[in-house]
Amino acid sequence: MKAGDEIPVWVLPITPTLVVSTAIATRDFQDVHHDRDRAQAAGSKDIFMNILTSTALCERYVTDWAGTDVQIKGISIRLGAPAYPYDTLSFSGEVIEVADGEATIKVTGEVSVGAHVTGTVRVAA
Amino acid sequence: MSTEARQTLVDEAVHEKIMAAADEIKAWGEAAARDARDLVNQPTINNWLEAMGLDSDRFRQGEAPPSMAQVWTMYGQGGRHPDRDPLHAMMNVLSDAGFNGVLGTNSEQSYDRYLRVGEQVRVTTALDSVVGPKSTGMGVGYFVTSKSTWYVGEERVATMLFRVLKFIPKGGAS
Repeated sequence: MKAGDEIPVWVLPITPTLVVSTAIATRDFQDVHHDRDRAQAAGSKDIFMNILTSTALCERYVTDWAGTDVQIKGISIRLGAPAYPYDTLSFSGEVIEVADGEATIKVTGEVSVGAHVTGTVRVAA
Repeated sequence: MSTEARQTLVDEAVHEKIMAAADEIKAWGEAAARDARDLVNQPTINNWLEAMGLDSDRFRQGEAPPSMAQVWTMYGQGGRHPDRDPLHAMMNVLSDAGFNGVLGTNSEQSYDRYLRVGEQVRVTTALDSVVGPKSTGMGVGYFVTSKSTWYVGEERVATMLFRVLKFIPKGGAS
């Protein structure tokens, strides 16, 4: 792993099943992640992906590329546009620094209106 | 920010009250310690792997994916916050002052090591900072950052800085 290495783009269709199953699998029962009526009443267009899943998908994106034997040291994300069903989440990433036994990988997950998640995944290197 | 600039966003007395509450809650330090409902366990890991579409021998053989650290101590359906939970307390202070909207903006997790099946996880929460008022696309609000620390026994295994924007929704509706 070296600075400048790019991770192939990964395009993930966002389905209601993805949003609901990942919310429940992360033990997040907030209604805006599984009940469209309640989500819309709260001002959202639809149900939307929860933050634990945005983090988890950054983990998956990096380990799909680097392998799960890699040791992840941290995942820092900033949330942007909500990830709604029937949109797609397109991940891109690049190693931006390798120093002191740690590689920092910049990751961006974009939906149709812009960045849903931007952040860094730190791995032992 | 100058007092005058701030007053155009939030009444000074309201701001003073919010910041005083923040100082008091910050002084609680790591509080609201609670145990995960279940030990780190394979069925919960398997459900997570299936939902995320991640397949790995490593995580089918006793280690948990690192970003699951937070999962173990989620409240679940109907879970209740302990008394004097710093994040919850600060959110209530802001809600009571009219900042009803809430939006998660940042999550910064660090993992000291991966968890293993059979471990009992405990979490504490501390109020890290309250910054504002800020004028944002959502409305005027305060950024509230809390720090969660996960332990197995006395060993720290993971930390998270979590930031939310508590805001007065534009147009006045919440």
